[in-house]
Amino acid sequence: MPEVRLALDTASDRLSVAVQVGDGPVAQREIRGARQHAASLLPLAEDALAEIGALPRDIAQVVLADGPGSFTGLRVGAAFAKALTSTGQVTLALTPSLLVRAAGKATGAQRILAMSHAMRGEVFAGVWEFAPGKVTEIVRPRAFTIDALLDLPPAEIVVGEGPDAVWKTLPDVWGARVEQAWPEAKTMLGLLLLSGGTRLVENIEGWEPDYGRPAEAQARWEQEHGRPLPDSPGHPR
Amino acid sequence: MAGERVLGIETSCDETSAAVLAFQDGRLALESLVILSQDVHAVFGGVVPELASRAHLQTVGRVVDRALSDAGTTVDGIDGIAVTAGPGLIGALLVGLTYGKTLAWRAGLPMIGVHHLEGHLFAPTLEHPDLAPPFVALLVSGGHTLLLEVRAWDDYRLLGQTRDDAAGEAFDKVGKLLGLGYPAGPEIERLAREGTPGQFRFPRPMLGAEGPDRFAFSFSGLKTSVRRAVATSGNLDHDRRDIARGFQEAVVDVLTQKTIAAAQESDLDTIVLGGGVACNRALTEAMVERAGSATRVVNASPRLNADNAAMIAAAGSWRLRRGETSAWSLEASDRMPLPGLSTEHQHSQRMTA
Repeated sequence: MPEVRLALDTASDRLSVAVQVGDGPVAQREIRGARQHAASLLPLAEDALAEIGALPRDIAQVVLADGPGSFTGLRVGAAFAKALTSTGQVTLALTPSLLVRAAGKATGAQRILAMSHAMRGEVFAGVWEFAPGKVTEIVRPRAFTIDALLDLPPAEIVVGEGPDAVWKTLPDVWGARVEQAWPEAKTMLGLLLLSGGTRLVENIEGWEPDYGRPAEAQARWEQEHGRPLPDSPGHPR
Repeated sequence: MAGERVLGIETSCDETSAAVLAFQDGRLALESLVILSQDVHAVFGGVVPELASRAHLQTVGRVVDRALSDAGTTVDGIDGIAVTAGPGLIGALLVGLTYGKTLAWRAGLPMIGVHHLEGHLFAPTLEHPDLAPPFVALLVSGGHTLLLEVRAWDDYRLLGQTRDDAAGEAFDKVGKLLGLGYPAGPEIERLAREGTPGQFRFPRPMLGAEGPDRFAFSFSGLKTSVRRAVATSGNLDHDRRDIARGFQEAVVDVLTQKTIAAAQESDLDTIVLGGGVACNRALTEAMVERAGSATRVVNASPRLNADNAAMIAAAGSWRLRRGETSAWSLEASDRMPLPGLSTEHQHSQRMTA
């Protein structure tokens, strides 16, 4: 059987998984509800694989949205990807979750800002420029305060979701078209074909998702001590 | 057969662990065990759940690969996967559970979610293959303190549990009061050995309780008594060892007396100790001495008493060999009920039915 590609986004309250063999039809499954990711992932992936006549062992490539976004959601996707690739027979490609939202709405050569809720009065945002066969990162996706967000270079289109207070003002502030958008895994299969759309991970074992910000306890500790938390991978017992 | 060679995975708190167990000639043989203790929590004086989850994700693949290679095998040589599904820190559990489920899913292997405490019940069987129910089990760790009558595997009667702090939690909190690092259990045990008996005498909470509470525990008040002793000590450097001694003696008295009484009341002559606090030698020695020669006290070695994947593989192997498997939709649960558990009340209802 030709190689199966599986795309997965678990960075928001929606889980989206898509599979494809070669350039055949794409089977996609989605579910909404952040607390359901871990329970739903394998049944949904299995169902999508069945639609294209494939089995889990046929998967040859995983393309994963690596954040930033929900810490727990990202870890569910990352643990899945790490386990799937652990035999060394499966490759892992990554793409920012916000780029998935942006690419889903791109219709030509455009500059698109994608954003999502980050809580604590912040949003995750990133800016990309789309051109035929290519996408270029203009602003690396990360957490922004609302003030810092409004200082970003204007984009023609703003996609995603955000706090009402800022979301509703963006058309006036930037003159941008604003569209709600959620990541769809089938978009990620398209990003594999786009220059700059994904990046391959060589050291999968050492890789971790882009959480977008440190854990709260770590941030507090680093602020108190004025230095990074010591990197301590643990000790064997 | 599904339970012949089992890969176990445990990530319920701050240890990332994987193990391979083989079931041969009616016995479990431990082929490998890897435990990686997360150091990052030491600076916080306790486990930070988000950091624990992140650290598990960083290391789970390496730990599993190492366990497989130490056992001289790969996933292809495994017959089933057992993974802790709860209770524990939900984010930490999710990492190991998702990893284990996905490995099994990809390889077409049966998978079973294991209750962490059932793992502790099975841990001593790895070193004492003749151990089998019925027995009374005292499970004591940072997250749990409970007394069970294990009538058979999967048939557990809850005799008593803590109403507030777990025994291990009390050790850590008292450790903090004494200015010790985390985890404090081993350091308190070391200090207690050097302390003078009787210098500080703390209350033995719920030791005189009767009726339904006779096997219940409570360690919160004991911790408060220690706080008072620390506050009134004019020279903590001088008193630290004696306070540690007094605290440990109080905990050991409560745990041993209630466990031995439970064994006597259940008419059982075997006591099993499990969980991180069961690594405390003073506890084991007191239990052996006070239970008397007619009672067998079984305790796993410290490596198997701490959180580890070998015990998860052992419990999982038993369930897989019975033909049990979990669905791919299995969820992690921070408050997972122990399978086969009945309370004393439910038990007596069953017996009179």
